[in-house]
Amino acid sequence: MRISTRGRYGVRFLVDLAQSAGETHVPLAAIAERQRISARYLEHVAVILRRMGYVRSIKGASGGYALAREPADIPIGDVLRALEGDILVVDDPLPGETEGPLARCVRSVVYDRLNRRIADIVDRLTLADIVGGEGTDRPPMYYI
Amino acid sequence: MRISTRGRYSLEALLYLCLLPQGESASTRAIAAGTGISDGYLEQLFIPLKRDGIVRGIRGPQGGYLPGRTPERITVGEVLRSVEGSLEPVACLSDETCPAEATCPTRSLWSRIAETIAECVDSISLDDLATAYRLQGSGEAQI
Repeated sequence: MRISTRGRYGVRFLVDLAQSAGETHVPLAAIAERQRISARYLEHVAVILRRMGYVRSIKGASGGYALAREPADIPIGDVLRALEGDILVVDDPLPGETEGPLARCVRSVVYDRLNRRIADIVDRLTLADIVGGEGTDRPPMYYI
Repeated sequence: MRISTRGRYSLEALLYLCLLPQGESASTRAIAAGTGISDGYLEQLFIPLKRDGIVRGIRGPQGGYLPGRTPERITVGEVLRSVEGSLEPVACLSDETCPAEATCPTRSLWSRIAETIAECVDSISLDDLATAYRLQGSGEAQI
């Protein structure tokens, strides 16, 4: 039950951009080197995030990537869904597919509940929570 | 982020076993007929489940499988870990060799998700599943 490489690298890419907020645009190669991720792979992730409107890019010698929104306006749940396709623990039944009563019971008691809990967590978090708020000395991401 | 077929089929097979009258066992053929899972696949799944005491096998012509403990004392989390391995969403949570462990900002995100998953599956017992199944059945009967 794993988050894919694409999901993990995408979040690291956004965190890196949030931490480099002082610079106007960060070259992809610099992020790839800092994060030790292949630049080619990162480019692929960056395209998805740009399409979703989370990052913008400028071409050219001083070009690179920057966040297109404030970190507090980048919800982690949406980022993961964009990168992963979805964040469900099992596929929905196919249209026309009928599940047996045992499978239906496990779905409603276990999978639906797990999907809701995971969504609750990631939908409450933004990139700002992960990077850590300014001027606060509390550890990031603790709430009740 | 999927639970594999191994995990899903194991939960269905165990729910089937937990619905049997207490102390009764079922052959893999009977479980296969009741769940639609092939008996060969069930035999495979029962290897780790037996090892972890989640199912118990009885030999002989009247033999078969039954829950290894009372259903109240078997959690969904145990079943899933037995057949799937770790339920952690990223490998680095259990691997303590990452040089960035202490400072990695994304690690806290993954560990929050891991805790959420663990709390959820560890709080559901097979008895909860069996109870929900009986309610589901009676609800359908009323309709």
